[in-house]
Amino acid sequence: MTKKKRKGITIFLFLLPALLLFFGILVAPIISSVYNSLYQYEGFSGDKTFVGIQNYVDLFENKAVYDFGTALKNAFILAALSVFIQLPLSLGLALMLGKGIKGERFYLSVYFMPVLISAVVIGALWSKIYNPTYGILHYFMEKLGIANLMPATGFVGDPDTALIAVFIPTIWQYVGYHMLLMYAGVKSVSPELREAAMLDGATDGQVDRYIVIPSIKQIIKVSVIFAITGSLKSYDLIKVFAGSNYNVPYNVPSLMLVRNVLGGHGGIGSAIAVMMIILCFAFAIIINQIFKERDPYGGKKHIKE
Amino acid sequence: MKRILATLLVVVMVFSLAACDDKGGNSSNNTSNNTTDNTTSNTTSNDTSSSTGLTADTKADLKMWCIATESDSNRKSYENAIADMKAAYPNVNFTWEAFENESYKEKIKAAMAADEVSDIFFTWSCAFLGDFVNQNKVYCLDDVLAKYISSGDLPEVMLGNTTYNGKHYGVPLTMNIVGLFANMDILKEVGYNDVPATYDDLIKCCDALVAKGYYPFGCAGGETWCVTEYLESIIEKNIGADALNDIFLARSSYNNQGVADSVKIFQDMIDKGYFDPAGLTLGNDEIKTNFMNGKYAFYMNGTWNCADFAANADFYGKVKVSEFPVIDSSKSQLGQLIGGPSDTLAVAASSKNAAIAGEYAAALGKLICKYGYLDGAGLPAWKVDYDDSKVNGLTKKVSEICAAAKAYVLFGDTAMSAADKDIYLAYVAKVYTKDVDGAGFISGLAKDIR
Repeated sequence: MTKKKRKGITIFLFLLPALLLFFGILVAPIISSVYNSLYQYEGFSGDKTFVGIQNYVDLFENKAVYDFGTALKNAFILAALSVFIQLPLSLGLALMLGKGIKGERFYLSVYFMPVLISAVVIGALWSKIYNPTYGILHYFMEKLGIANLMPATGFVGDPDTALIAVFIPTIWQYVGYHMLLMYAGVKSVSPELREAAMLDGATDGQVDRYIVIPSIKQIIKVSVIFAITGSLKSYDLIKVFAGSNYNVPYNVPSLMLVRNVLGGHGGIGSAIAVMMIILCFAFAIIINQIFKERDPYGGKKHIKE
Repeated sequence: MKRILATLLVVVMVFSLAACDDKGGNSSNNTSNNTTDNTTSNTTSNDTSSSTGLTADTKADLKMWCIATESDSNRKSYENAIADMKAAYPNVNFTWEAFENESYKEKIKAAMAADEVSDIFFTWSCAFLGDFVNQNKVYCLDDVLAKYISSGDLPEVMLGNTTYNGKHYGVPLTMNIVGLFANMDILKEVGYNDVPATYDDLIKCCDALVAKGYYPFGCAGGETWCVTEYLESIIEKNIGADALNDIFLARSSYNNQGVADSVKIFQDMIDKGYFDPAGLTLGNDEIKTNFMNGKYAFYMNGTWNCADFAANADFYGKVKVSEFPVIDSSKSQLGQLIGGPSDTLAVAASSKNAAIAGEYAAALGKLICKYGYLDGAGLPAWKVDYDDSKVNGLTKKVSEICAAAKAYVLFGDTAMSAADKDIYLAYVAKVYTKDVDGAGFISGLAKDIR
């Protein structure tokens, strides 16, 4: 056996555990989901009937039972809110705290606290806040004389306000998470760069705009990927709001997936899983492309390894 | 009281057996000719009978999952029954966990698929348990229950909803129906001294309540099964129990104009302000609390609530229970009820101590039945061989209603398989939010239910 061959075998053996894990917990389930999505079967077991792409067709066409289009639209709205409201908020907080203001550690802990609380607790808490009878929101609106602005069904019960009402705590919960990621990035920016810019007469805003934000671009990219894929997969908090209501205006793909798999529609559940996988991968690739560094002439920047 | 119970047990099961036979694949040939004798027999028996084969020396680790949460009407009966069992079998290490109703339905399906379910588990009878039996996930209790049946402790007719291909798979606990509970203090304010007995009277009463600023009904949209309690009652009293049974058991199509009309009746009631709009997102516990606090005049839900109402001294004097009045007397009549024996204990086939768990479940089920009945959480599925003179008045009234029953339709989401149930509940939820009308409801279900 040549030295080159032996080296190859050694590399392969070292990679094997990782490869097995990769195939076992990522590739195999995806293949299994694709396979199962082509069948109709009840729950986790039982006889399977091959139906081809019918499950995918039903997902979009049978609006009375599935209405996957609306669930998908809701997930996209949540993703958009995450990117355009949650992340700017997180960035703003990270930039503010990164300057080393008084009580920095305290604020950092306060903003990060919601991330540490279980989504179930947050869901239950906000459900109480929104409660149209005894909720604190209703109480304050009554005190301010604007209780009539609250729909009779409550904010979560009214189709016009339910979506935003449920997404507010979803977004609020993870502001601290992204803030912490970005804060770490802001703190890693060299103080010399900041000082040099200041000596050149740059304002705080200009330093952030031209020095700090470009320096943490990769972290922002990661945050955007997390925010979008997290939105597409969001489940726990929304499930708390939905409870056992089978018709909520804020339905999302994950909620549908779980309900269908446990509700005896394994094929439909698998089809939703496949759609979610495709979407998450697609968005990850698109975001990578968007954030790819380009040279001043528009070409891709090649980084020497 | 016992005579009434004996009569109703026979009536309930004759209809109930017929109900589950086709759909759940149950055997309906188990009716015992000695039922009346069994249920009226007054022989005493030890509640934790050693005839079960369990002895004080039996050693085993057993775990049970159920839905008797802190706020559940059955909680007290579970606690009392478990305390008795622990005293009788101190060497059995018995632990139990209670989960919220709907999340339990999801949890148990997932756990069952992974063979990770507890040794003993609470289940609903008919198709819900039937799905698990079909997957060979449930331990057969024929041997365990034989001695209770032969001793007369357990009328065999009570096993109809948990019998599949002639084999028994469940220990029945209590039976319940959907009741129309009324807060008489509020009704008196609009001139009613009793629960309206006719549909026209009910509507007049609701109009008067709305004019007075009350919401006649509260319905928990946050738990769609609560909406079915209203909708199914309205459908049954509009098209008749036989027609509804035929639909639930797939003997006829949902494409029934009477069902569409019933949906319209329900939605018209919503439009007229009979339902608290806030109920759309509330859970059953919140709605029940609102009812007890005088926010609603009526509350339609299972008669297991009698226990909670009777336990509240202030409220108990105000509440009455009745059945929903007849809407179309040419098709329906009083005595056609929604409900039947559904609450059941079963044993996982994957249990390492399945035989002992079976014996334990039977003895425990008998005790839960006893305490549940005495508390008012349901009518007994087992022979009453103890003093029941202190059972609360509401439960006694339910017994009378059931004794006069003409037909039963099992709760729709229990009668259907898991796959059909979710589709059905999705449509019911859309009826409540008015996303679908009567025509859409019947055509959609006719198309989508397998």
